[in-house]
Amino acid sequence: MIDRARIVLPLALRNDLVAHAREAAPAECCGLLLGDGDTVRRVMRCRNVHAAPETRYRIDDAQLAQAFRAAQDFDRELVAIYHSHPRSPAYPSPTDRAEAQWPLAAYVLVSLRVATPEVFAYRISDGAVREIPIVEATA
Amino acid sequence: MPVTVRLPGALRDATGGETKLIASGATLRDVIADIDRRHPGFASRVLDEGGALRTYVNVYIGEEDARSHGGVAAKVPEGSEVMVIPAMAGG
Repeated sequence: MIDRARIVLPLALRNDLVAHAREAAPAECCGLLLGDGDTVRRVMRCRNVHAAPETRYRIDDAQLAQAFRAAQDFDRELVAIYHSHPRSPAYPSPTDRAEAQWPLAAYVLVSLRVATPEVFAYRISDGAVREIPIVEATA
Repeated sequence: MPVTVRLPGALRDATGGETKLIASGATLRDVIADIDRRHPGFASRVLDEGGALRTYVNVYIGEEDARSHGGVAAKVPEGSEVMVIPAMAGG
């Protein structure tokens, strides 16, 4: 069983997350960080289909199903689910905690509330939040 | 009418750790009930109090979204693959 105690996020992919957050603002962006175990190898940008995208997100169900179908082992390949907080801290909101249904994945949040965007990772299980480190690989 | 049901590890606590099951039933409702007989509580993870698919759970029968084919009344052809995928959402 996978128990992600950290995630490894190459700098180029971290920069892509921040770019996605900036492009989507004032709406929240969202997507999947795919790879192997705790190492991210690819950012899959997804559509935020929630009716109130400036304060909520829902990953396009069809894109999620496509990723699930394409994976040999989705639980291993889904390293994290990411979304942005354009105006609030990079910490899971009460809604994030209430709606989190993927306890094996990490949740990565990007905040644009300050000039230098913040990126943090968490595990969320039964509404409980635990921060985990992001190792910023350079390649 | 055996069908294969695939679900992510996110739901494995509702299926005794299994992420791929063989179930039977002519409709999605029947398939969910069949799994619930072996894994009590599974149905409540997928269905709301009224017996409809929960808003934050998606079910596909083959390539088709079950909601577009009658929800729990959708027909499940023999040999098809059913995927149960929790939504990814928050605020």
